[in-house]
Amino acid sequence: MATNFRKKKNSTAPMEGSETGSGNIEVVGLSQGQIIRKRFFQHKPAVAGLIFMIFFTIFVYSAAGIHLGTDQNKISIPGWWKYSHEDIVPQGSCATGCPSPDHPMGQLPNGRDYFSLVMRGSEISLMIMVVIGGLAGIIGTVMGSVSGFFGGIIDAVMMRFTDFIITVPVILIGAVIGYNIGNAGVLLLAVFLGLFSWTGLARLVRGEFLTLREREFVDAARVAGASNRRIIFKHILPNSVGVIIVSTTLLLSSSILIETGLSFLGFGVQPPDVSLGRLISDYQGEFIYAPWLFWWPGVIIIAIALSINFIGDGLRDAFDPRQSRRINRKDFLAKTSTRDAVNKR
Amino acid sequence: MLAFIGRRISLALLILFGSTYLTYQLAAYSGDPLAGVRESTDPNKEVIIAELTKTLQLDVPPPARYFLWLQKALGLATGTPDLGNTVLLRFPVIDQIATAIPITIRLLLLSTILAIVLGITFGILSAIRQYSRLDYSLTFLSFLLFSLPIFWVAVLLKEFMAIQFNDFLARPSIDLISNIIIATILAVIITGFVSGTRKRVLITFGISFTAVFVLFFVAGATEWFRYPSLGIFGITILGASCAVGFTHVFTGLANKKALSAGLTSVGLGAAVYFPFNALAGPGTNYQLMMAFAVLMLVSSYFIGYFFTKIDKGPVIRVSMLSAFFVGLFTVLDKLMQTWDTYYELSNGRPIETMGSYNITLKTNDFWILNLDLLTHLILPTTALTLISFAGYLRYSRASVLEVLSMDYIRTARAKGMPEREVILRHALRNAMIPLTTLIAFDIAGLLGGAIITEAVFGWRGMGSLANEAIVTQDLNLLMGTFSITAFLAVMATLAADLIYSTLDPRIRIRK
Repeated sequence: MATNFRKKKNSTAPMEGSETGSGNIEVVGLSQGQIIRKRFFQHKPAVAGLIFMIFFTIFVYSAAGIHLGTDQNKISIPGWWKYSHEDIVPQGSCATGCPSPDHPMGQLPNGRDYFSLVMRGSEISLMIMVVIGGLAGIIGTVMGSVSGFFGGIIDAVMMRFTDFIITVPVILIGAVIGYNIGNAGVLLLAVFLGLFSWTGLARLVRGEFLTLREREFVDAARVAGASNRRIIFKHILPNSVGVIIVSTTLLLSSSILIETGLSFLGFGVQPPDVSLGRLISDYQGEFIYAPWLFWWPGVIIIAIALSINFIGDGLRDAFDPRQSRRINRKDFLAKTSTRDAVNKR
Repeated sequence: MLAFIGRRISLALLILFGSTYLTYQLAAYSGDPLAGVRESTDPNKEVIIAELTKTLQLDVPPPARYFLWLQKALGLATGTPDLGNTVLLRFPVIDQIATAIPITIRLLLLSTILAIVLGITFGILSAIRQYSRLDYSLTFLSFLLFSLPIFWVAVLLKEFMAIQFNDFLARPSIDLISNIIIATILAVIITGFVSGTRKRVLITFGISFTAVFVLFFVAGATEWFRYPSLGIFGITILGASCAVGFTHVFTGLANKKALSAGLTSVGLGAAVYFPFNALAGPGTNYQLMMAFAVLMLVSSYFIGYFFTKIDKGPVIRVSMLSAFFVGLFTVLDKLMQTWDTYYELSNGRPIETMGSYNITLKTNDFWILNLDLLTHLILPTTALTLISFAGYLRYSRASVLEVLSMDYIRTARAKGMPEREVILRHALRNAMIPLTTLIAFDIAGLLGGAIITEAVFGWRGMGSLANEAIVTQDLNLLMGTFSITAFLAVMATLAADLIYSTLDPRIRIRK
């Protein structure tokens, strides 16, 4: 049964491709995964975003090194950058602390090297982003799929629970964990934020499951005697993986904004830890005298969020055959000279 | 239906109970409200602590104390709801909230409306011109705006829209190079809306570049930004272009009835210009303004109604929108006339970076007071509009694209309906249904306030109350603000579900 289903799934792709008029030839003989990969790599901004994220992550983690654990038992692997974010270095050649070869992003008034601070901040922001996104992604998928698949009373209870979570203010979670418990650690903050930001994804996945469970292939599987677990994991989940991946990606970009926003208000990451939002919050007053202190963390936040949004857009195009026609106008006019094409838009 | 609503409301109350309980516990266990007093060097410290412990009932453990709060908040014992007093200054929480709500609404209403209108308009444009230059640019813009932290935008706006603009006003002439840069940027934006052959695009670019260049040259030479005015001619020309634009969008310029209805409304606006200016002196009030608005809208409704016999809807829409914009320009002109006085009163720094109004302004002039509110609003409104605009743009684009691929659109086109009718009558009405959810949540969020924005721009709205409550560990204030937000969020979910099923009969409420 499973092999049959797989075949059926593969054969639907060219069919859906033929609907778009142009995708037919290019996807013949390719598996679903290959088609998705091909479509994704055709999306230039997404590929650029992916490359940026990979290089940036490697750059940041190698520059600042990896520091784990609490003050008592610390595991530290130093990075290649000569200063650590805790070092206090005498003021360099530039009296105002402006960028110089020795301090590419300038220096703080107290002598700290800003490059190492920004790298450490990016490291923490990236870590928080991944933890929130991953945790919320898992919880949202589980909640949404169980709710959408079983329906009835289970659905009602779980959806009201989702409503309940929506009403709990995220800022309060940030405040309780970050501001009041103090340095319980950045990881704890990320975990708690993740525990409260899965609601949007759960609703989306639920909607997807509600429509998919009515489809013929689910009936066929059920008639063939498949268990609920098998139907969920082998039949419905693979078909809704597009929605899940895309919204998780977008969740990642919104979670870096949540973290920076909380830290900006003073509720998120607490000193001596730094994060990108914290850096902006601390040095926004210096905008006129030392604008680089303000620009660098902001530009990095935007670059991260923008790349992730583009990756998400590319994935959406790759997973959704209807939305993936990236044909330029010339091709469009050449291929479809009649009104017939307009009707298909 | 009624049973469904009843059940959902009772469930909503249950959710509210749970969420306020959780919020209370989280807040109560997160810190010590007496920390400030404990650290003070007041000799009466012990007495104050004892007194506060008694009034705040800190001797009762939080899980039980919540019920004491709930009992008072619902007014079970006394009959009047009482949210308690703030810890520090002992103001009643309810009064604090009552003063904060109007401020928050003022902050958020305009930007929400702007974001909805602009976002949906550009989303539709982006969708019907899918994969055009405009679509790509708007997509990129929306992703960029999605990725911007609002506090970062706020600092930039403060620097470039307020501080540097104020500096510019001191010497309001535009040099040649900046004029060329401005004209190029604006011409590129205008050209973005045009599609077609390369020749057409280049011609559009040339015309708009010249137009913008001349406009800014004249504005710079006459110091227009320092002494702005529209005058009756400016109002008429702008109004007429609005009328032509709306006719083009709603009926097409071939419909002469719509065009003349729109232009008549503009004429009406021009006719009331002098009476309006004579009537609306410094002592005007909001009632008079409302009367003016109602008069304009009602008369333009009848203009549209009498100009055509068939298909009155679009014609009325054109004439009412034209009248609305002419009225807006008239009011704007009136505000511009007071700009110089306001400039002097604000010591040459008219655009404000902080606060919601200028307390040192000693005047009773209706127009100056409103101009003051507007100059304080402009930065936060721009920041908030930019951020939420992107969401509406993406959602409406996706929604319109989804609807355009439906069979009934194909049918409408197949029966020979003009494309404008297909889009306006068949596509848009259906595409707007999913957006109601988003709008319901945004409107519910109006009262919740915007914590970060209010913090950056120094507004004393609901957001800053919540912020303050967390910082000072003020349980009463915190519960007061958050229960309102939670209540509205629950109601928005319910309202969104109900509106959705009313607008779209295909979605039935499951019994």
